[in-house]
Amino acid sequence: MTLSIPTIVTIIVLGLIGIGIYALLTTRHLIKVIVALQLLVKGAMLALVLAGYLTGQQDLGQSLAITVIIADTIVAVIGMALAVQVRRVIGTLDLRSLTSLRR
Amino acid sequence: MAETLILLTIGLPWLGALLTWAAGDQHPRLQHTLAVAFSLAAGMAALLLIPFGKDQILVTFPVGGAFGDFTFSPDGLGVFLAAIATVIGSLAVIFSVDYMRGEAQLGRYYAFVLFFIGAMVGLVLTTNLLLMFVFWEITALTSYALISFHNDDPKAVAGGIKALIITQFGGLGLLIGALVLFSNTGSYDILTFINNPAVLPAGALAWMAFGCLAAAAAKSAQFPFQTWLPDAMEAPTPISALIHAATMVNAGVYLLARFFPAFEGVPGWREAVMAVGMLSALLAAIMAMVATDLKRVLAYSTVSQLGYMVFAIGAGGVFASQFHLLSHSVFKALLFLGAGAVIHAVGTRDMREMGGLGQKMPFVRLVFVIGALALAGLPILNGFWSKELILEAGLEHGNPLWMLIIMLVVSGLTAFYTFRMVWLVFYGQPRSEVHAHDAGTAMKVALAPLALGTLTTWLLAGSFARLLSESLPAHEIAAHPTAEILLEVVTAPVTWVALLVIGLGLLAWWQRERLMGISKALTGLKNLALNSFGFEAINRGVVLGMQNSAEKLRDTQTGMLNWNVAYLLIALILVLAVLALGVG
Amino acid sequence: MLHALIAAATLVCAFQAVRAARLLVSALWLAGASALVALEMYLLGAPEIAVIELSVGAGLVTVLFVFAINLTGEENLDARRMMPKPLAWGLLFVAAALLLYFILPEINQIAAGQVFGNFTEIFWEDRQLDTLLQILMIFSGVLGVLGLLSEQVARRPLTVKEHGK
Repeated sequence: MTLSIPTIVTIIVLGLIGIGIYALLTTRHLIKVIVALQLLVKGAMLALVLAGYLTGQQDLGQSLAITVIIADTIVAVIGMALAVQVRRVIGTLDLRSLTSLRR
Repeated sequence: MAETLILLTIGLPWLGALLTWAAGDQHPRLQHTLAVAFSLAAGMAALLLIPFGKDQILVTFPVGGAFGDFTFSPDGLGVFLAAIATVIGSLAVIFSVDYMRGEAQLGRYYAFVLFFIGAMVGLVLTTNLLLMFVFWEITALTSYALISFHNDDPKAVAGGIKALIITQFGGLGLLIGALVLFSNTGSYDILTFINNPAVLPAGALAWMAFGCLAAAAAKSAQFPFQTWLPDAMEAPTPISALIHAATMVNAGVYLLARFFPAFEGVPGWREAVMAVGMLSALLAAIMAMVATDLKRVLAYSTVSQLGYMVFAIGAGGVFASQFHLLSHSVFKALLFLGAGAVIHAVGTRDMREMGGLGQKMPFVRLVFVIGALALAGLPILNGFWSKELILEAGLEHGNPLWMLIIMLVVSGLTAFYTFRMVWLVFYGQPRSEVHAHDAGTAMKVALAPLALGTLTTWLLAGSFARLLSESLPAHEIAAHPTAEILLEVVTAPVTWVALLVIGLGLLAWWQRERLMGISKALTGLKNLALNSFGFEAINRGVVLGMQNSAEKLRDTQTGMLNWNVAYLLIALILVLAVLALGVG
Repeated sequence: MLHALIAAATLVCAFQAVRAARLLVSALWLAGASALVALEMYLLGAPEIAVIELSVGAGLVTVLFVFAINLTGEENLDARRMMPKPLAWGLLFVAAALLLYFILPEINQIAAGQVFGNFTEIFWEDRQLDTLLQILMIFSGVLGVLGLLSEQVARRPLTVKEHGK
C-alpha cells in the first residue's frame, strides 16, 4: 500500500501524542508521567518538522523545533528534581497520595 | 491638563496603597503619614478637576479596541462625586490615625482604603461601561476586605461575605446591561447611548434598565437587598463612614442618575424606581426606630436617605437627588465619625449602656448634634434644603400623591429616631459606668471640616445646578441661581407641611411617656421590625445556599492528574465535534 | 517503505515505554523512540534538529532518567488503575478519528511556500527573541535544580521579637 509520506508522518505524530496522553490517563507513577510528557513533545516536534517539510521552509521549522526541545528538556530536568525531592520528603511517588501536598 | 488630573486622582491613591503596604507593619507612623499624604494629594487633585466639569471634555486612553477605549469624562456628575470620594476619604484616613492607633496590620487596612478611593473615582469618571463594571467590582472587593478586616471575629467575616454575595447579584445586573449594550451597538460607550437611547430595541432597553436598577438597588442597599448594610457595621468606623455612608453606596444612585435620560422612557421603570426608594425609606425608618446598636441606627438611616435619593430620581428630580447626595455624604460621614469617636472612647456600641456622655465629650456632642439636625431636616442645615427639594420633585411630573405622603411620614419618623439616638447617647443620666474621654486631635481635625460643611454646603446649590446643567445636556436640568432655589424651597407649601411633620416627630419623642399606650399597641410591628421584616431570613438562606453549593462543587476538583487530563481530552473532543458538525 | 518501517518501530517503542514494568526499561525504550524520531526528522530534511534530538533526547534525558531512578529507587505500584483502560482507549480513538478527519484531506495538498533564509540566519536573527528566552530558560532550569536538590537549611529556633508589640 503506498501511503504518501505526509500521511505516514501524520500517523506517527498522532500515534506518539495518543500514546503520551494514554499514559497520562492511566499511570500512577510520577516518573512515568515525565516519560509520557517526553513522548508528547516528540510528537509535537515531529509535527513542526513535518510542517517545515511540507511548505519547503525546513529552516523555520527547525528553529521552532529547537525551542521546543530546550523547553521540554528543562521540564524533564526540573520534573525529575522535583520527583527526587518528593520522594525524599513525602516518601512516595504515587500520584494518588500526592493529590494534596499539605502534610 | 484634565488628562493629568484624572490620572493623578485615580493613580495617587493606588500608588499610596502600594507604598503604604510596602512600608511594612513595623513602621506604623510611616504608614499613617503616607496614607494621609496620598489621600490629601488625591483630594486636591479632585478639587482641581472641578473647574473642568463645565466644558464637555472627553479624555481617551486607547488600549487596542477589544473592549473599547478607556474614556473618562469629567462632567459635573462625575467630578463632584470624585471630589466627595477623595475629600471625605482623606478625612476618614485622618480620623483613622487616631482610631486605629495601636492596631495590627495597618498596611492591609490603608492599602485597601486607598485602593478603594482610587477605584471609586474611576467608577464615576469613566464613560466606558465595561470599565465601570471593573471599577464597580473593585469597590465591592475592597468593601468586603475592609468589613472583614478583623478577620478573627466570625461576625465580621460573616458580614463581609454576606455583603459580597448580595452586591454581586447587583454586579451581575450591571454586567448584563453592559453586554446587552455591546451586543446591540458594538460599543461600550455610555455617552452616545444616553444621547440616543433609540439605538437599542425596546426589549433590550427594558432588560438593561431593570438590570441597572437591580445593580443600583443591591449596591445602595435598597429594597429588597437592604440587609447587608446593617451587618456591614462590623467594619472599623472610619470605613463605615467612608464606604458605607459617603461613597460606595452612592454608586448605585450615581448609576441611576447617569442613565436616567436613557431609561425614563421605559414603561414602568420610573414607577419601579420610585417604589423601591419609597419602600426602602419606609422600612428602614421603622427598623431604625427600634434598633439599639448605635451604628445600626445610622446604617438604617443611610438606607432610608438613599431611598429618598432613589425616589427623587424616579420622580424626575435628578438635581434634587444629587444635591441630597452631597448633603447626605457630608452629614452622614460626620455622624459616623462622631459615633466612631464615641465608640472608641466608651468601648461599646450598645446605646442602652450609654447616656449622659454630653458632659464628658462636649466637642463630639456638638458636631453630632449638628449632623443629627441635618439628618432630621431642620432649617438652615444642608439636609433641610435638599430634602425639601426632593419632596417638591415628588409633586411634579404627575407622580402619584400617595407616595409623596408616605415620604412625608418618613421624614417625621426620621426626626423621631434621630432625636431618640441623640438623647440616648448624649443626654440623660449615665446608665452604666463608662470611662469616656473627648476625641483626640486627629479625630477633631477630621470632624471639624465636616461640621462646617454641614452648615454651609447648601450655599453651593446654584453653582452646583449650573455645573450639572452645562455638562449634562441629555438630563435637561434647569439651572437657577442659589437665591432663587432657596426662595423656591422656602415658599413651597410642601416645605411647611414637612416642617410640621418633623415637629410632630420631635414632639412624639419628647412626650414619649404619654404615648406609651400607642407604643404597646405597636409591639407586634416592633418585633417584625427587629427581625427586618423577614428579609434577614431570606438573605441568610441565600448566603447559606451559595456556600453549600460551592462546597459541593469542590468535589469535582480531585487533584488527580488522570482525571484532569481526561477532562482536557473530553473538552477537545467536544470542540472538534462542534467544528466537524459546523463544517460538514 | 523506509518511512513506514520507522513509523511502526517508533510506535512500538513508545508503547513499550509506557507499558514497561520497570522504570529503567521504560527509560531505555524512550531512548529508542528518540533515536527513531531523530532518524525520521533527518529523512524529512532537517539534519540539525536530528542531531540535537539524538544527543539531547536519546542521550541527556536518558542519563537524567537513570540518575533520577537511582535516587528515588524502584517502587512497586499495584496495578489498580484509576481509569478503566477501555475508557481511555475509547476517548483517544474518538479524538484521533476527529483529528484525522480534519487533517488527512489537507495534508497532501500543502504547497511549498517562500524560503526565508538558511538556518543560521533564521535562528540568530529572525527568531532572536526565542533564542534569548531559551538561554534564560536554561539558566532558570539550572538554578531550579540547584535549589531543589540542595540540602535543607537547618531551621533557626524562633526568637522573641525584640522591638515593639
